[in-house]
Amino acid sequence: MKAEPRTVLRFLLEYFDIVKDLFDAQTRDNIITYEVMNEITSKHKMDVKIQLLEYKIISNVAENYQFRPVFANLIEFILSEFKPMLPETIEKYHVSIGELFRKIRENINGDRVILNQRISELSNEINNFYESVEKNTLALLNETRELKANVKKVDYREKIIRASRWIDEYIIPLNKILDLNHSTSLTTKLYEVSEYTNRYRLNFDDEGTRIQFEKLYFSLIQVNDNLLRQSKILTNELLPLIERIRTESIILSGWINFLKAPHKKKVPKILEVKRNYIYSKDTFFNAAEFFDAFKNDADVYIEDEEYADEKWIFDKQHYKDKLQENMPVLDFFKWCNKTLKEDYKKVEIEKFFALTSLAFEEDLQLEYPAKAEFDKIKINELTLTVPKITINKHGIS
Amino acid sequence: MEYPRNHRKIVDELMSGKFILPIEQHYEVLKENEEFYIDFFKISFNYDLKFTQHYVYLVSDESAEMLSRDMCIFFAVLSYELDRDGKNFLERIQYTEFELDELENYFINSSYIDLIQSNKQLKDADARKNFINTLNRRNILEKIGDNRILFTSAHKFFMDFASDIVKFENVEE
Repeated sequence: MKAEPRTVLRFLLEYFDIVKDLFDAQTRDNIITYEVMNEITSKHKMDVKIQLLEYKIISNVAENYQFRPVFANLIEFILSEFKPMLPETIEKYHVSIGELFRKIRENINGDRVILNQRISELSNEINNFYESVEKNTLALLNETRELKANVKKVDYREKIIRASRWIDEYIIPLNKILDLNHSTSLTTKLYEVSEYTNRYRLNFDDEGTRIQFEKLYFSLIQVNDNLLRQSKILTNELLPLIERIRTESIILSGWINFLKAPHKKKVPKILEVKRNYIYSKDTFFNAAEFFDAFKNDADVYIEDEEYADEKWIFDKQHYKDKLQENMPVLDFFKWCNKTLKEDYKKVEIEKFFALTSLAFEEDLQLEYPAKAEFDKIKINELTLTVPKITINKHGIS
Repeated sequence: MEYPRNHRKIVDELMSGKFILPIEQHYEVLKENEEFYIDFFKISFNYDLKFTQHYVYLVSDESAEMLSRDMCIFFAVLSYELDRDGKNFLERIQYTEFELDELENYFINSSYIDLIQSNKQLKDADARKNFINTLNRRNILEKIGDNRILFTSAHKFFMDFASDIVKFENVEE
C-alpha cells in the first residue's frame, strides 16, 4: 500500500531525532544492525520500526536494516553530512556522459523524440556529476578541517595515514577529473559538449530541439563555472591544507619519537668548529695572513728628529768614585747638583734622582745635623727642598 | 687566480659553522659557484658542502654531535609544546617572532621538563639564553632587539631531520 506523501513527510519531521541517529549509525557502520535499531528505539522510547519499513524509508537486509538510497540522499543533503566518494564513483559519469554525447552526435538527424530525450538525460547526468563533485569537495573540506582541529584526538600516525589517503585516493584523482589541461578529463569533455551544443542551439531545423540544446548549453556554462570553482578549492585550499596537516604530523611524530630516547637516536651532522690554539700548525699561516693584510706596499719614510736624546744610563760606579774623591761631602744634595752641572749642559730631574740614590749605598755613613736644616736646589724649572746631609769618609769600606 | 666575490666571508662563515641563507647576498655567489665551493672545501679541508633551497652548510666527519642533539631537543620540545597549545607550530616557527618570555614559558611548563632540566644547555633560563645566542651565531635564528627572536630558514634543517625519522622508520617496518 502506498503511503500518503504528507504522512511520510510528517513522520520524518516528528521522528527526525530517531531517523538521524539511525542515519549516523548507518554512516558509521554502513548498515543498521538489529541490535543498534533496538538500542536507538529504546533510547527514544519509541518503536517506529514498522512505520519506517511501511513508508519505505528503510529496507531489510537479512536481519538488519538500511536506508533506501533516496532517503539516505535526502537526509545526507539536509544534514550536509556527506561522506567523501571515491573518485571512481564519480568517474562513472565519464562513461554515461560520453556515451550519451556520442549517440547525440551520431544520430543528430535521427528520431527527434529520442534525440530530445538524450539531450535531457545528458543534462541530468551533467548535473548529477556536478553535484557529486560538489558534495565530495564539501565532504573533504569538512573532514580536513575536523582533522586539523583534531576534535577526535586522532594520534599523529593516524593523521598522517588519513591525510595521505585523502590526498592520494581522493583529491589527486578528483583533480584529474577536473583538470582542464588534461585532454581525457571529464571537464574537457564537458567543454566539447558545450561547444557542440552552442552550434546546434543556433542552427537546428527543429525549434523544440533547439530549445533543448539552449537549455543544455546554459546549464553547461553554469556547471563549467562551478567546476572551475571546485577545482580551485581543491588546489588552492584543500590540497595545501591537507598537505600541511600531513607534513606537520610527520614532523611531530618524528619529534615525539625522538624525544622518547633523545640520547640514543642519531642526530644530523653539523660542523665542529675548531679553535685555533697558539701551538696549532695553522697559527703560522694565520699570523702570516694577518700580517699580510696589514702589509703596506708603499715606501714609508720616517724622518729622524733633529735632537734625538740619547738614552742616559746612570754610571753608578763612576759617581761613587767621584763621591769618594770629594769626601768628606758636607752637603750631599748640593754636591749632586754641582757634579751633574759639571758633567752636563742640562741637568734633568731623573739624573739628579739617580745620583741621589747613592745616599742609600750601604757602605756610606750619613750624618744629620742635630737640628734639621734644609736647602733649596733648583733643577731646571723645579725647586726642590732637600735636607742637609753630610757624608764622612768614615764608614767607607 | 681570481676568487668569487665575498669569498672570504663565505669561507669564514661556513667554517664557523654558520648556515648561509637564501636571503643573504653571498648565498647567490655560493649558488653561482656551487661546484667550485664543493671542490674547494673537499680538497682544502675534507668537508662536505651541502646545498638546499633553504640553506647551505658544511659538514665534517667530526660532528658537533652534542650541540646537534641539544638543538634537536630544543626544536622537538618547542614544536611539541606549540602543537599542544593549539598552534600551527610549523607556521608559527616559520613566520612569526617569539618573545623570549614566551619561549621560556613553553620550556618551563613543558611535559618534557625532566629532559630539559637534565640538559646542560637547556636546564634553566640562563642556559637557555646562552643557547639562543649559540643558535644566533649559527644563523639558525635572528635576534630582534633584546627580547625577541625570529627563526631563519635554517630551522628547516631540523624539521627535515624529524620528517626523516618517520620515513626511515616506515622503511625499516
